[in-house]
Amino acid sequence: MQAQKVQQLFVRYKILALLIAVALIWLFFHIKTDQAFVTPGNLSNLFRQMAITGMLACGMVFIIIAGEIDLSIGSQLGLLGGVVAILTVNMGWGTWPSIAAVLALGLVIGALNGFVVTKMRVPSFIVGLGGMLAFRGLVLYLTGSSTIAPAPDDLIALGQGFVPPVLSVWIGAFIFLAMVALTVRRRMRRASLGLQQAATWIDVARLVAIGAFIFGFVRVLNDANGIPIPVMILLALLAVFTYVSTQTVFGRHIYAVGGNMEATRLSGVNVARVKLVVFAIMGLMCAFAGIITVARTGSGSPSAGTGAELDAISACFIGGTSMRGGSGTVYGALIGALVMASLDSGMQLMDVDNSWQLIIKGVILVLAVWVDVLSGSNRNA
Amino acid sequence: MSEYLFEMRQIVKEFSGVRALNGIDLAVRPGECVGLCGENGAGKSTLMKVLSGVYPYGTWEGEILFDGKPLKAYSVRDSEEAGIVIIHQELMLVPQLSVAENIFLGNEIRKFGGVMDYDAMYAQAEALLARLKLKDVNVAAPVMNYGGGYQQLFEIAKALAKNARLLILDEPSSSLTSAETDTLLSIIEDLKRDGVACVYISHKLDEVARVCDTVTVIRDGKHIVTKPMSEMTTHSIITAMVGRDIENLFPKVEHDIGEVIFEARHVTCWDVANPNRKRVDDISFEVRRGEIVGIAGLVGAGRTELVSAIFGAYPGRYEAEVVIEGKPVKVRSPEQAIKAGLSLVPEDRKRQGIVPLLGVGDNITLATLSHFARAGQIDRQAEMQVVDAEIKRLRVKTASPELAIVGLSGGNQQKAVLTKMLLPEPKVLILDEPTRGVDVGSKYDIYKLMFELAARGVAIIMVSSEMPEVLGVSDRVLVVGEGKLRGNFPNVGLTSEQVLAAAISHAAEGPAHAA
Repeated sequence: MQAQKVQQLFVRYKILALLIAVALIWLFFHIKTDQAFVTPGNLSNLFRQMAITGMLACGMVFIIIAGEIDLSIGSQLGLLGGVVAILTVNMGWGTWPSIAAVLALGLVIGALNGFVVTKMRVPSFIVGLGGMLAFRGLVLYLTGSSTIAPAPDDLIALGQGFVPPVLSVWIGAFIFLAMVALTVRRRMRRASLGLQQAATWIDVARLVAIGAFIFGFVRVLNDANGIPIPVMILLALLAVFTYVSTQTVFGRHIYAVGGNMEATRLSGVNVARVKLVVFAIMGLMCAFAGIITVARTGSGSPSAGTGAELDAISACFIGGTSMRGGSGTVYGALIGALVMASLDSGMQLMDVDNSWQLIIKGVILVLAVWVDVLSGSNRNA
Repeated sequence: MSEYLFEMRQIVKEFSGVRALNGIDLAVRPGECVGLCGENGAGKSTLMKVLSGVYPYGTWEGEILFDGKPLKAYSVRDSEEAGIVIIHQELMLVPQLSVAENIFLGNEIRKFGGVMDYDAMYAQAEALLARLKLKDVNVAAPVMNYGGGYQQLFEIAKALAKNARLLILDEPSSSLTSAETDTLLSIIEDLKRDGVACVYISHKLDEVARVCDTVTVIRDGKHIVTKPMSEMTTHSIITAMVGRDIENLFPKVEHDIGEVIFEARHVTCWDVANPNRKRVDDISFEVRRGEIVGIAGLVGAGRTELVSAIFGAYPGRYEAEVVIEGKPVKVRSPEQAIKAGLSLVPEDRKRQGIVPLLGVGDNITLATLSHFARAGQIDRQAEMQVVDAEIKRLRVKTASPELAIVGLSGGNQQKAVLTKMLLPEPKVLILDEPTRGVDVGSKYDIYKLMFELAARGVAIIMVSSEMPEVLGVSDRVLVVGEGKLRGNFPNVGLTSEQVLAAAISHAAEGPAHAA
């Protein structure tokens, strides 16, 4: 019993450890760059940079929890971004119809991947490798290997714009009040059913921490024009994905499928359908990431998203997702993405040579997973 | 010099205070074949692990003599060097490697610098196979090109390549057709003439009777009898295997048996790896409301395959018609089975029962999660309420329902899996080895629950390899042997001898009024 408590603590502690790691990384770069790192302007940039990896990581963490992998997402991103550029620039579609069409296309491509994995039973690693080549080839074909520009202004605003500071404050306040309301409602419901309650001080402390975090986040970013729109989208996705993974039947089934597919199947869960939907969601996330990539750069580049799958997968593993499936969290993956983005940003500020950037990122990925293995949380996976 | 090639004297092996082997003797002369018989769990595999060095010298008491000299094997390699080779029930070949490579695996013929001498290996492999009267084998072709019967013989060739003087065959015919078994037995007879000694472990007493000169029976880790085969009959072997009192640990509750609620018709399953072989061959039976039907049989008889096919979970090709409350239902997946009112608690808890990293509560509600959800959103509080109640009702010992289930004991895990499959409120509950690896206390709780469910009108089908359990719990006993229904006995004055006889013999004995 005691050992399990310690282990549980470790699993919780892992997120704290990650946050501490982020803080240390920030502190290191802040000192090394003569206090140029932790500034509203740089943090705003940093978050904006991480938004795309973060969107991919949201989808990828579900895939990995379900015990699969998808290596084609970088190419999917490139393809879907290319399509949105073609639709808006070459074919003169409106921005919103184009976005809707690309999101739908993303779902279809993801579902197609899922179909090949679940119904045709090709290992997802292979499906991903094939898709990586084929989707990249397709975007090269569709764009004639040339960059498509300029993207319309309302599309660019999505990538480069900000949420007005006043609205950010209101949104922050709303989220905080919603958290308070949810906590109170849960306590009342548990009381009426006679279930055990968490101690009052824990809930209060949790709300205070959340409030402080929201306040600080909004405050800092408002000092630099407001919350970037991609970051706002990522936060909304974080909320949706966390909700799905912790509160819904589908979310529970993802963990169960990855944790023990046979037991889950024998419990009457349609495991193929769960996996197929997870892949479809991944495609949708690639569409989001592709659209934002085009919006940020103002153009559709046929090489967009090259290597993005590695960043997303690294983010998941740094964030404590188990290699073997069955465990992991969305916020963990996003903190993992934040770690990767912080390293990128800090080393660029320090003017570290690109070769060293790659070496350091590679070493940190391996170290992070090693620490995770040492903590023992993946042993039974 | 003793007349024996090999002797085990007074072997005792304990596992944390429990005596798995309690003074076993086993002796084999050169060129002799000894049949080792015993029920499931009698200690046969433990004994084989002692003699092959899986349990190193020093972790058990007693004495092993080989060639008159004490044998101190610290690993399988040591015992193989002495000339003792085991052929396991599951084949241990690497399917992608060639026949010759498999025969010499770990024992390769080398030229300088670790380069394999393929020519020498092919030549020797062919010579070995010729000795086994196998002439049409391409030793350079992968093993997977050949069927189960050939593969079993390759295993023997592999043993001969190691200069085996004592060959131990553990249920060698369990994956063979009868023609393949026949070939195997005649080869064993040839090997005996060449002076190779054998220990033949099998439930199939007709095979034992044909090939063995001496029979040793063990039961509950004790040596019961060793006699020449000429002085034994199949019946006397069975009596020696069973002969024990069944302790009364079954809290039997009177329950009414109603009308037929479940029928399985013409269930046939084909082997996944060997599509020509039937694991289950046209079995039909019915179960009544409130009735507990035990399915007995030997390991590998096809009982698990039978119930997984009924539940829509058999991995290979199968045919099955399922009728519930008079209506035929389509069951091609566990999802459909549960909707139709069937539940299955699988045999292998770790692989098929629990999702290890999920909490106890999450495991319990896995089959019924949508009952707690509106528009896909789980009502956590309603879920936890049911989980708390179930944990109390079944006395699942866990510090918290949120604790990962993998940390619980086997008995408590089994209770959680049982609860999971009871929450859909099945009309028919199938339990496959419900008390395997479960402590006595939890066993008692599980039996009690079964009787309660039967009293509430649930039909229960229980596959079990433990004879006391079958006889202590069932209202009726079906016996399955080699994929066929061999007997259908009301559990009135039924003895384990009758059940075992039906499971072992080819023709069903007793009042076999099969459905």
